[in-house]
Amino acid sequence: MEEGENMSEEYKIPEGLYYTEDHEWARLESDGTVTVGVTDYAQKQLHEIVYVELPGVGDDAELGAVIGALESVKAVSDMNSPVGGSVTEVNEDLLDSPELINESPYREGWIAKLEPSDWEEDKVHLMDAGAYRKHVAEQAH
Amino acid sequence: MDSEDIVLELMKTHIYAYHEGHGNIVDFGGWAMPVWYEGIIAEHHAVRNGVGVFDTSHMGRAVAKGPDVEKFVNRVVTNDVSRLEPMQGLYALMLRPHAGIVDDLITYKMGGDEFFIVYNAANREKDFDWLKENSGGFDVELTDVSDGMAMIAVQGPEAVETLQMITEEDVSLVERFSIAKITVSGLRCMAARTGYTGEDGFEVFVLDSPVADPGKALKVWNALVEAGAVPCGLGARDSLRMEAGLNLYGSDIGETTNPLEARLRWAVKFKKEGGFIGMEALRKAREEGVKRSQVGIQMVGRGLPRQHYEILDGDGEKALGEVTSGGLAPTLGYGIAIGYVPVEYSKVGTPVMIRVRKRLVEGKIVKSHPFYDDSVYGWKRVRT
Repeated sequence: MEEGENMSEEYKIPEGLYYTEDHEWARLESDGTVTVGVTDYAQKQLHEIVYVELPGVGDDAELGAVIGALESVKAVSDMNSPVGGSVTEVNEDLLDSPELINESPYREGWIAKLEPSDWEEDKVHLMDAGAYRKHVAEQAH
Repeated sequence: MDSEDIVLELMKTHIYAYHEGHGNIVDFGGWAMPVWYEGIIAEHHAVRNGVGVFDTSHMGRAVAKGPDVEKFVNRVVTNDVSRLEPMQGLYALMLRPHAGIVDDLITYKMGGDEFFIVYNAANREKDFDWLKENSGGFDVELTDVSDGMAMIAVQGPEAVETLQMITEEDVSLVERFSIAKITVSGLRCMAARTGYTGEDGFEVFVLDSPVADPGKALKVWNALVEAGAVPCGLGARDSLRMEAGLNLYGSDIGETTNPLEARLRWAVKFKKEGGFIGMEALRKAREEGVKRSQVGIQMVGRGLPRQHYEILDGDGEKALGEVTSGGLAPTLGYGIAIGYVPVEYSKVGTPVMIRVRKRLVEGKIVKSHPFYDDSVYGWKRVRT
């Protein structure tokens, strides 16, 4: 476990968020909407993000469906929705400043907000910070 | 198997000790090479605006020597080496008899009865075998010298000053596509005024420097870094060459493209004495008329073109071909691509669509050699 502990310190994994195996995060807001983005691990793997493709406001997304894409100089990575629902807002700052995802993956680098169709049901498929930390340690190893 | 075991199995260059300590290492065709050190974008800009240094020791290098060397090299490459003076080089292609491209390369006439040939890393064995196979009947001896010398590229508008800081001879006297014997950090080297970035610069060969004993190579590398050259990985190497409109073998050209389609007609000399392998087939292709042509594409709408993305006509209805290289051009700030389309769609200004995942994004055919304004960037720019 020693190595795993070290690896997890390299990546910020805030408590209170929910995580997917593909390194997206979801945060339930007080108004009942869910904000989604990609994790610190994901942005570090991608490295310099130079282009972001956002979903459209009003788009319906199933849990796990592709809702956007992140591109570095070398690679393209799909963004899958960690929650099912309808997109109510997207982070348009990312269009001009995709590097916000590198600089602040959990705050300024959020990608979209969704009105969840069944958060309680979807949540069961997601990991908490502790489980995700283990998942990252296994991936990084 | 964890990542350290994978690295163990990969081939390593002379400069690996530095990469291991400073770079982000990937498997590049069996080689453990740095894709970036600090970041691709910063490294890219360092070369366009200042000076960068690349380890290119994984590339293939061969020496051909003997009384028939000039005849032999002229037979296996498309360009005409008989017009070279000693210590001059040129860009050329090797073709199969059906005119598909074996590789692109630079060959130098070293003087005496010796030629030096530099080719792509991925084709090291294939090229050397091809040279050997076609040397029958010529009094020439071939030696693969790849592992016996390191190769370091110093590139950018400040490349001359930077290399000069650690070199005894006046490097500004080395003309473009010429090669010279120089002494760098007290070590015997050769420097060619060539590169793969579009910028001015040199490819430095550190002589008597075997992979097993990389001290000399590392000394030159470290001296260049100390002199101010920014270490650059393969990521910036790729984005720089793409902006300069330079082909990547295996992506933009290969065994199924011929030089006419790839707009490399300038590197083919049909009238040279003795001809070259692939000449008959290529001449026939020229007479029949080339059906498709390589083009440069600039994205007009939002989206980055990538290798294998489909190119369609401006209405998005007719499939024209596919992208062979693409991505963000860091110097320009938009997406660019190299690809192939039918000749009638290859005119500069022609609108096209690129299928970027599920969307069609607008683009247009542009001049791609280079993509940037060469009075502002690249080796042709007038320095003030």
